[in-house]
Amino acid sequence: MINLVFYFQVHQPYRIRNFSVLDIGKGKDYFDDELNGEIMRKVAKKCYLPTNKLLLDLIDKYEGKFRIAYSITGTAIEQFKKYAPEVLYSFRDLAKTNCVEFLGETYYHSLAFLYDKNEFLEQTRMHKETIQKEFGFSPITFRNTELIYQDSLSDYIWEEEGYKVILTEGVDRILQWRSPLYAYKNWNKNLYMLLKFYSLSDDIAFRFSNKGWVEYPLTVDKFVKWILDLNLIEKGNKNLFLNLFMDYETFGEHQWEDTGIFEFMKHLPAKAFKSKQIEFSWPSDVLEKTNYQPESISFPEPVSWADMERDLSAWRENDMQHNALETFYDILQKVKATGNPELLEMARKLSTSDHFYYMSTKYFQDGDVHKYFSPYGSPETGYNNFMNAVTDLEERI
Amino acid sequence: MKVLMFTWEFPPLISGGLGTACYGIVKGLLKQGVEVDLVLPTREEVYFPMRKETDVDDLPIKFISPQKEIEFTNTVFMNSMEKFEFIGVSSIPESYISLSEVRTFHTYFKNFMKKFENKTRVPFQEILNNIMGCENIFEKVKEFTLRAQRYAQILEYDIIHAHDWLTYPAGVIAKTVSGKKLVCHIHATEFDRAGGAGDVRIHNLEYSGMTEADSVIAVSRYTAEMVISRYLIDTGKVNVVHNAHNIDIKEFENEKRMFKDPVILFLGRITLQKGPDYFLEAAKIILKKYPKVRFVMAGAGDMEKKIIHKSAKYRLKNRFLFTGFLNAAHVAKMFSNSDIYVLSSVSEPFGIAPLEAMSYGIATIISKQSGVAEVIKNAIKIDFWDVNLLSEKIIELIENPDYRKKLGEEGRSEVELIKWEKACSEIIKVYEKTMGRINK
Repeated sequence: MINLVFYFQVHQPYRIRNFSVLDIGKGKDYFDDELNGEIMRKVAKKCYLPTNKLLLDLIDKYEGKFRIAYSITGTAIEQFKKYAPEVLYSFRDLAKTNCVEFLGETYYHSLAFLYDKNEFLEQTRMHKETIQKEFGFSPITFRNTELIYQDSLSDYIWEEEGYKVILTEGVDRILQWRSPLYAYKNWNKNLYMLLKFYSLSDDIAFRFSNKGWVEYPLTVDKFVKWILDLNLIEKGNKNLFLNLFMDYETFGEHQWEDTGIFEFMKHLPAKAFKSKQIEFSWPSDVLEKTNYQPESISFPEPVSWADMERDLSAWRENDMQHNALETFYDILQKVKATGNPELLEMARKLSTSDHFYYMSTKYFQDGDVHKYFSPYGSPETGYNNFMNAVTDLEERI
Repeated sequence: MKVLMFTWEFPPLISGGLGTACYGIVKGLLKQGVEVDLVLPTREEVYFPMRKETDVDDLPIKFISPQKEIEFTNTVFMNSMEKFEFIGVSSIPESYISLSEVRTFHTYFKNFMKKFENKTRVPFQEILNNIMGCENIFEKVKEFTLRAQRYAQILEYDIIHAHDWLTYPAGVIAKTVSGKKLVCHIHATEFDRAGGAGDVRIHNLEYSGMTEADSVIAVSRYTAEMVISRYLIDTGKVNVVHNAHNIDIKEFENEKRMFKDPVILFLGRITLQKGPDYFLEAAKIILKKYPKVRFVMAGAGDMEKKIIHKSAKYRLKNRFLFTGFLNAAHVAKMFSNSDIYVLSSVSEPFGIAPLEAMSYGIATIISKQSGVAEVIKNAIKIDFWDVNLLSEKIIELIENPDYRKKLGEEGRSEVELIKWEKACSEIIKVYEKTMGRINK
């Protein structure tokens, strides 16, 4: 049996407005309320609302057999409330079906794990409380920002109450001869791990509408056939997990409706069930469905799901990114020392990884992706806005 | 006395450093009874007849063509910007001929220049050879030069005054047509702009313009020396008239300060000529000792990205910030939030920004490789390349707030005395001497 594990990442950062040196000390807001509202409303209309409706219909239709998972960041939830509350209600409707698993992560979608372990744990707990409050769900599965993972992360998560599973990227240089289709355990063998199957995930998330791709167009028949082919590697009867992890905005936003992405998703379950070899599962189903002793796998160096390198270089490669991150975590300490909750909230909104992603100067294919997501004309503009905002924060202390 | 003046900039239409200086000069001349017919690179063939002091702000417009003049006077404009649009002046130098016209234009221009070739000893061939670029700026200079003949014939004036290389060819044409004397004013040489040898065509135009001029006005001794030594211009006809400023001396605002800690400011284009990298290197040294002071680099330019990356590489945290391009109001705000101003220029013919900084009572450090260093006493002067000394001097000012304040206040009083009236009296003397009215 092969389990399709769909996990969708739902995230929106608080984009920083053009914040000049001249704005410092004026008590101005750092975030571009207009732009953030506009993007949220646009994505709600094109993606969140229609996709939630589609998946809710599928859940109803298959009476519990169609299972999916979401990781929704705290900053996304806050912005649903502020700009598009109907999105939050529709996620609550999904939660009520009991066919949806919600994952745990950092509230602010931050890189805190790499700089400040206490901050990382605080943000993780904040997120857990929010998911409990909004959806009545207590996360069992953890995924760190952008699937960033290394061995030491599992030690911190294991200490946290409730977590039994971690997700990360199926990176070739770590897996080597191993397949990402099997369940694994972390280096210390106390948590289950599921690894993203990036080629099939990216076929949906990135290549779906690419007319230059040899497999274009991607049909349900073709996709299910590929899945069944994958199942052939298992000669015994070990359960496999095909982990399809992607940004939720794939549906309707990155891949527009006219590409047929909604139709693809709508017809996938029927075809999959017809094969009798495919089931839909949650990440946490790995605890029950693993009918073998999983191998332990070690990630000595950090990995992520970003760019071709699948490392930290999307956020932490050039000098601007390093300088901005080091400055931020210094000032975060000072902000914490004041005990002022308002300042801390502002600081934490600046911890979101997207701010550092916008500063990336990587070129070729990946640079294009960075540019697509960035609200600024250049990485340097993103850097200056961030540094000026952080400086204003420091001056408020 | 009446002057036919060619310049490339004049506020508010186009306002760089050249425009600011020309504004001060024209205003000062009018105050002393000298009238000016000002010619700018406009789309329409117009000039600005300046007769009284307020004209520098009102900018009266006159068309060369009588029919156009009637059309213009019958048109109702909602505001002055509409009027300026009508005559075609923009803040970005551009060429008004279409590409299809370029080839015929080249032939036409060549024939135009040839007409003059045999008439005088003027190095027309030199100008012709060097004005032939196809970049927008050269196209526009050519159009400007072509028109000079009409202006020179139609208008009445006693002397011709041309500012910087862009208008030198026009000045030379006007001189040939009218037989009047030509004064070439040099605000910046190509050596300053390029930080060494620059575009050879521009060098040649600077050379031939000043060679043909009856008098040359340099904005500083520094510039005069450069002109004499590098262009071999006759020392007897080179005059130094230092720039002044149009700055209102402000009282300190009581608004809340941007930063708690001392602020050290660089303000200018972020380009080789201004030495931004020397400022950055000094910041690196100083922040090791005083990690809490703030450095602000204000302005934009071709080296901006390079300096941003380098400051990040040095991990100067958020102690080295960038403002990007600032408008006049923001410049004022930035000055009133700064404690120390640094002009780190590699080569600065004059340098108006330090005077502005001093008018705010800011302690000022200036590069010795500048014209402004010749006119002010109450500023610290250093060689631009001496990063260690620059750092020491900044540290001295950080450590001694009293000294900083004293230097700032004395600088402010000193700047108050630098006025365009005085500079313009000297310019009028140059006119008179050139026209042979006085002997000297």
